[in-house]
Order: sequence, then structure tokens, then C-alpha cells
Amino acid sequence: MKNLSKESILGLFLVGLFVFMSLFAPGFLASSNLKNMMFQLPEFSILALAMMVVILTAGIDLSLTFVASLSGVVIAIALSSGYSIPMALLAGLLVALACGLLNGVFVAKIGVSPILVTLGTMILFEGINLSITKGHSISGFPSAYNLIGNGYFFGLVPVSLVIMIVLIIVTTVLLNKTKWGRSVYMVGSNPIATLFSGINTSRALMWVYLFSSLMAFVASVIMTARYNSAKVDMGSAYLLQCVAAAVLGGTQIQGGYGKVIGTVYAVCIFQILSSGLNLLGVHRSIVDVMIGVILIAVLIINYVSSQLEKRKSIKEQAKSVA
Amino acid sequence: MKKALLLMFCVVFFSSILVGCVSSESAGSSSESTNSGEKSSDKIKIAVVPKLVGIPYFNASEVGAKRAGEELGVEVIYTGPTQGDAAQQVRVIEDLISQQVDVIAVAPNDSAALTPVLKKAKEAGIHVMDWDTPADPELVEISVSQIDNEAYGRHLAQILVEQMGTDSGDFAILTGGMSAANLNLWIDWAMKEVEENYPNLNLVTEKVPTNEKQQEAYQKTLDLLRAYPDLKGIMAFSTVAPLGAAQAIEERGLEGEVALVGTALPTDSLPFLENGSLDVATLWDPEKLGYLTVALAKELVEGKMPTDGQDVPGVGVIEVRGKTVIMGPPTDFTAENAAEYNF
Repeated sequence: MKNLSKESILGLFLVGLFVFMSLFAPGFLASSNLKNMMFQLPEFSILALAMMVVILTAGIDLSLTFVASLSGVVIAIALSSGYSIPMALLAGLLVALACGLLNGVFVAKIGVSPILVTLGTMILFEGINLSITKGHSISGFPSAYNLIGNGYFFGLVPVSLVIMIVLIIVTTVLLNKTKWGRSVYMVGSNPIATLFSGINTSRALMWVYLFSSLMAFVASVIMTARYNSAKVDMGSAYLLQCVAAAVLGGTQIQGGYGKVIGTVYAVCIFQILSSGLNLLGVHRSIVDVMIGVILIAVLIINYVSSQLEKRKSIKEQAKSVA
Repeated sequence: MKKALLLMFCVVFFSSILVGCVSSESAGSSSESTNSGEKSSDKIKIAVVPKLVGIPYFNASEVGAKRAGEELGVEVIYTGPTQGDAAQQVRVIEDLISQQVDVIAVAPNDSAALTPVLKKAKEAGIHVMDWDTPADPELVEISVSQIDNEAYGRHLAQILVEQMGTDSGDFAILTGGMSAANLNLWIDWAMKEVEENYPNLNLVTEKVPTNEKQQEAYQKTLDLLRAYPDLKGIMAFSTVAPLGAAQAIEERGLEGEVALVGTALPTDSLPFLENGSLDVATLWDPEKLGYLTVALAKELVEGKMPTDGQDVPGVGVIEVRGKTVIMGPPTDFTAENAAEYNF
């Protein structure tokens, strides 16, 4: 246990949970249930990754799901008024990037705290969305578009799942192999030292918010395609679940530490819990309770283990001094 | 940054190649689902999905649905999202398809968003119904409606005029959410009634959304009373908006001057009805609605469709128009009779 990273422990927990549910939840391994889970995962995990990257910089993006629903609504309007799919996607992408840019300017250039900025833009985007849609849902897409959310590659793997896997790999590479990725972690752990070591922190932050809005855009494409409509509160329930998933995945809320794979494990754990407990006939609200309990438990374990490590290192230091 | 851009480019490139391989539907998915559609237990399983769980209205309908389950000998699964979010509701229904229930009766948060998943349910051999709020009419076999929407909307306008004591003056409308299909429908009919029969009534501002929250209804009503001092009446739609509005009217001491009518449960509204801040609440019995939904679902599995004028035990005589079943006329709750109801 000692040599395992936080993420690997979480991975083991995930495997254990999967085995447990396979044994005890009736029909957990049935193809229909596995298919459900494959379709339910992508939108949530893409949003969670977006949230994680923001949290790495010691920020938070409360406007995330509202960026998604706003760009979804724009796509929906474009599609239902007869524009081609690429044009509609481009419009949605531009709207999402504009939203990200707005967040980025306030956080990176002006230096307002992210929670305040995104709280404001969350209400702003929701308001814009409401005034466009008047709260109605917009539907009526060409069936080719719905394939993004409901179609399969080679009749086996959901398209949305493939998109998710690609994005997981891209995010991992971006965070670990690029200069930008390094600077994201550095900004999160100590912005001032990072600035003084010659890194343009505000540019790095800017890209973080653009990245998260880009991910929100992809998630919104998947959601609108899957639900065949766009609406102001689409996916709003995912907002805090994303924060929860990032934190459960080992990302430090103070920024500076977090791994993509941890967040992916956490999202899978949420998914298996919710599907499995449902098959066991557990009431929805109890599912929420369980997720809350697990989250708190993991946080306590993380806290205790980090305290223990600290104490150990202090002792060792004391020994070496003596 | 160059590397990042290059990567992005590669992703776009590869995905565009992969797009070519997308197949229309899952290979053999339909045959698989019919295979797994064998029902394991002999008891009929009926899933009733509300817009969300944990609010008084849907708790009351849960009681009715469960009671129907016991009395009629069917298994009732009452489950829904914990927030009124269409995406969460889709997940709940997908999970129910995995559980291989016989009937799914849903009160959609967003009917368009449910169309793909309800199609999936049908393909898996599950009967699909809606209740409380209509879903895609092409997919459902029965649509259980608590009320005739037109009659109900007009009724609200009429009782407002009755309570205002005059058919001229300013009034305002509070609504639970801008996107709630049934609330919008009633408001539209209420406005039609106003246009046709009470042309001197003046709606001061567009309908005010209150997010299905009492606190917000209270706050927004205070704002309205401040902004429009000549306000004579308020119509509040959603089961909590009338309560919040009543709180505001009570606080400002305007019980005699501002008439308030709305769609609220009698037990919740009793204190406000008694102190005069809320004049009339009008609603149907949600418990009966839950009961009726399960009763009709059971008959659907047994191959019986409801007929016009049918007397459903425990509910009463129902009206049937095509697929739509209408439970009956609304009940008005006032200070005199509200205490007699237990929901």
C-alpha cells in the first residue's frame, strides 16, 4: 500500500467496486447496462477534466456547465434553422471560446478571484441563455448529428466514448508533455514564484480557461446530440459533481497537484456507484448520500495520510540533525 | 504552444477520418435488447418517474403510486432525479431500461430531451407513458393529464378576477420556471381568457420566474409590490410560488388590497389561506394522479386501453381524448375547506 500513489489506490478501489457490483447487482454485467454506462460516462468525464484543469491552477469554473448549455443552445438554433452541421459546430465553438475568453480576461489579466468571476459569468451566461430561449428547449436536429451522441463506431464503441478517450489522452499529454502543462501546475502551487521564474502566468491562465470552455463545448455537443435538444439547465446537475470528481480523483483544491487518470477513475467510480446502486434498487437520494460519504471519507484518508507523512519526514529530519 | 497546436490539429485530423466509420445504429443492439427483455419475475413492474424527487408535490404522488401498487398487486418503482435536470432524468430512465421494467411512466423535465431514451425503451419492449407533463406524443401509449389545461388556465384567470372584485386593474404573473411546459401552457390559456373576457386587466410585466423556490417567489413578489404600487392581483404558478408570494403580501400587510391566487397544495397553503394573504389555491390531488398513473399502467400491460367515461376505482370518472387521459376538474382550496385535505 505504501508505495502506491493516491491514484493507484483509487484505481484499485474502482476495480473492487466493479467486482462488487458485478457480483451483487443483478444485471450489472448485462449488455444493456454496460451500454448505458458507456453512454453516460463521456459528457460527465469531459466536464470533470475541464474542471480539474482549472482547479490545478487553484481556480474553479462555476460557469462550466452554463458555457456548455449556452454553446449547446447556439448549436441547436443553428441546426434547427437549417445550417449545416460543421457551421453549427463552429458557431457553438466560437460562443464557447468567447465565454472562456471572458473568464480568462477577468481571472488572468485583471486578477479577480476565479470563484467570483465564474459565479458572475455563470449568472450572466444563464441569463443570456434564458433570454434567447425563453426557457424553452430547442430541438429538431438532422439525424446525422444525433449520431455523435447515440451512434457507434463499428457497431461496438459509442462515438462519444471514443471522443472521451481521445480527450483524456490529449489532456494527459498537454499537462505532462508541454510547457503550458508544466506552467499550469506551477501557477497552481505558487503563482508568484512562477512569475519570477520567467513564466507568463497570465497567458497560462488564459489558456486554462480557454481549454475548459473548449471541453465544455465538446461536452455540449455530446449532450445536445444525445438528448436531441438543448435547454438552459442542460447538464447543470454536473457542475458540482465535476468538482467532486476532480477532488475525489486526488486533485488538490488549493491547486498544484492532480492527475488526469485520478479524475477519470473518480468519474468511473461515480458512474458505477450510481448504476449499480440503482440496479440494487436503492433510492436516488440514498445514492447521493453514498457519494457524499465516499467523498468525505476519501478526503479524510488523504488528509490523514499526508499528515502522517509530514510527521514522518519531520522525525527523520530531527534524527538526521541529531 | 506550437506543440499544443500541432496536437490539436492531429486530433481534428484523426477524428475526421474516424467520422467515416460511424455506423448508424449499434450493430445488433435491437436484437440483444429484445433477448434481454425476458421478464424474470411474474409481478408487473411499473416505473413511475417524477420530474424530481423530494418536493411535496411529487412526494404526494409517490404515496398514491405506492398505494396503487399495493392495492393492485403490482411492483411500483418510484424514482427520479434529485434535481429537475433533463440530463439526470435521462440517466434514470436508462437505468430503468436496464432493470427491465414493464412500463415507464415519466413526467418529463424536457420532453424533447427524452425522445431518444424513450425510443430506446420502446425498442426494449417497454410500454411508455407520460404523466403530469406530456412527453413526445408519438412515443407514448397513454398520456395521463391531471387536468384539462385550457379549462385550468382559464379557471385561474376567472378566480383571480373574482378575488380582485373587479375586472380592471394591474396584475402580475409568477411562474416556477420559464421552461416548464405545463406552467407555460396554463399561463398562455390564462392570458387568453384575460384577453378575451377581461380586456381592462393589465399585465404589468412579463411572467416572473421563481426557480421553483419559495424564497425566490417571496423576494420577487416584494420587488413587484415595490415596483408596481397599484398592483391588484397576482397569479402564481408552481406549487411553491403562491406560498412565497403570500409571505410577501403578509409582510407588507396588503392582504386586503392584493388578490393572490395560485396552484398550491392545500396543506402547505392552509396558514396563508387562513391569514388571508393567499385567497384561493387551486390544484388537483397529486396522490390520485399517482394512483391513476399506476392503475392505467397496469391495464396497459394487460392490454386494456382506457375508455372515455371509465370509472377508475379510487379516482373517479376519467375523460379520454385520443391518447390523453384527463383525471378531472381542479379543486379549489380556500380558508374554509383546505383543512379537509391531507396532501
